[in-house]
Amino acid sequence: MKARLAALVLAALPWAAPLAHAEDLVFLSTQLRPVEEAQKMRDAILKPSPVPTTYVADVPQVVPTRLAAERQGNTHTISVVGALHGEIQPLVATNDLAPLDTLAAQLSGRGIPPALMELGKLGTAHQMYIPWMQATYIMVANKQALPYLPKGADLNALTFAQLNEWSKAVQAATGKRMLGFPAGPQGLMHRFFEGFLYPSYTGGVVRTFRSPDAEAMWTEFAGLWKSVNPNSASYNFMQEPLLAGDVWIGFDHVARMLDALRQKPNDFVAFPAPSGPKGRGYMPVLAGLAIPNGAPDMKGATALIDYLSQPATQIKMAQTAGFFPVVAATLPDDLEPGLKLAVGAIAKTQASSDARPSLLPIGLGTQGGAFDKIYLDSFQRIVLRNEPVRATLDRQAESLRKIMTETGAPCWQPDAPSTGACPVE
Amino acid sequence: MKRQLYLTGVLALCAWTLVPIYFLALGALGGRDLVNTFPKPFWPGSASFTTIRDFLAIDGVAAATLVSVETACLTMLFALLLGLPAGYALARFSFPGSGLFRLLILLTRAFPVAILALPLTVGFIRLGLYDTPLGVSLLHTALALPFAVLVSSSLFQAVPRELEEAAWVFGCSKFEAARRVVLPLALPGIAAIAIFAFVISWNEVFAGAVLTVRHRTLTAYLLTVLSESPLHVQFAGGFVLILPTIAFIYAVRKHLFAMWGISNR
Repeated sequence: MKARLAALVLAALPWAAPLAHAEDLVFLSTQLRPVEEAQKMRDAILKPSPVPTTYVADVPQVVPTRLAAERQGNTHTISVVGALHGEIQPLVATNDLAPLDTLAAQLSGRGIPPALMELGKLGTAHQMYIPWMQATYIMVANKQALPYLPKGADLNALTFAQLNEWSKAVQAATGKRMLGFPAGPQGLMHRFFEGFLYPSYTGGVVRTFRSPDAEAMWTEFAGLWKSVNPNSASYNFMQEPLLAGDVWIGFDHVARMLDALRQKPNDFVAFPAPSGPKGRGYMPVLAGLAIPNGAPDMKGATALIDYLSQPATQIKMAQTAGFFPVVAATLPDDLEPGLKLAVGAIAKTQASSDARPSLLPIGLGTQGGAFDKIYLDSFQRIVLRNEPVRATLDRQAESLRKIMTETGAPCWQPDAPSTGACPVE
Repeated sequence: MKRQLYLTGVLALCAWTLVPIYFLALGALGGRDLVNTFPKPFWPGSASFTTIRDFLAIDGVAAATLVSVETACLTMLFALLLGLPAGYALARFSFPGSGLFRLLILLTRAFPVAILALPLTVGFIRLGLYDTPLGVSLLHTALALPFAVLVSSSLFQAVPRELEEAAWVFGCSKFEAARRVVLPLALPGIAAIAIFAFVISWNEVFAGAVLTVRHRTLTAYLLTVLSESPLHVQFAGGFVLILPTIAFIYAVRKHLFAMWGISNR
């Protein structure tokens, strides 16, 4: 039996090689990883592309390791890397990316907003990535929750105070805490503090970290948390608790709620995140395309990026994957119902009169994780462990100050510009 | 009374393994809506293979399955080829430091693969093993080997030395005696070692993901992304991933049951 098995294995060996298209360009992406979305990416986007491409989806942590290994081993397999702004940033420090200035000039007619192009420079003098697609965070509510909306409240111009009243009313009626946040280990809760809560209440993120506004904000948020489903500490993606009916009102990244909207477009409504005293803070999410140094197919890689940033391709991306164009392109009217809900909520967020866009942290390099942790730790101490607000903020502010001075990162929107490292006031 | 207890035990053990598989199958066959309903019906109203078919139609699943089978078989082969002689040596010959050797073997499992990822990948690139099933199976062998060595050594210890000596008396060489007398007696245990090596390789994600780009093993290809997919797809994926292991264990079940026989003797 063993001999037969060995023969079988040996017979299979030469088989495996021709199955993969060895000459194809490898496109390594940390986005569109879920099997269904990766499949759509392969079928709808990459099959018609002028460059034959093998699409490899990988978790973000693996990308720097892989590039470093290929650099040290002097064998390159990856030609294009697609990742979030924050995931590409560490690759610049290790000098793993090729500058794309010529390509950027070539694409200047596509209508990519200058602010996004500037983000693609990652604080260097060169274009390090080409903006690929964008998304943001929205709120989704089960229609069963709508009758409890406070009188006179407009869903599309909700305030945090109204959200509090609303979830309290739902709790009183159902006896359950039906508001949900993605505060699980893989959840994106830190972005809620950095991009939504802080900007809405204090008008800043770093400068105003320990301001009196921030103190009031945390006290109010701790009150709101009393009507939040306690399972939130384990939610990574809000679509599942929403579909299961464990949560009626949820906040998350649009791509992490899209499945709920798509499966039951008639059961849910989507709307912008609430506003606070200083406006409606929201964080746009940006993914970019980069080419590693020593890419085996430089020409194919530029051609692929060119193809992916064509308006027609970008519209198709929005229809299939729920990420939205960075170039000048208008979405068609006949979108599928779930996607239409998401697009509507994003458009309303961007167009709202009190919108206060807050960028992802810029210039923190490898300290990005430590920065997020400051906000998550403050949340855990103040909200979950009931520690005094003032003392906690003061202590966390010390750590934050240390990160800012070590990295020397200047302030980014919504904080007022600074000369030198962004100060914690 | 005793019989009742026995029956309850059998039922409980069956439920222990069958209930999770049943729920997995229910989720895989029931489609999108059933996954989120609770309590679940015993029988899905509309069982369909659509989810599983869609899942299998995903580009690269077929190729990745082939790579996975290849890697798992190679791992099994290497683990047996290297593990059995080492186990035999530990069982039959006493040499200074054999106790330490047993401990050192276990130490290979003490280093987390994640820390070794970068140097390993660089080394594999230089050796030309990067992105090949052979390379991944070598690492999987390293993971499976401690088990193979230690289990096979206690296996060989359980085979009476007298039988081997009798074979020598009747004119067998040492190698022949080991092959014709000891090996057949230890076969059930060897089957268990083979299964274990196969399953380790089949389930391993990290090495499969880091050491490959184009030639992913099925688990690496799917598992890293499966956890972020909609629930019904996760169920379909889980169902498809356990099927080969169940089939493999079913195929060698005779040898496994015989092993329990040995231990009862």
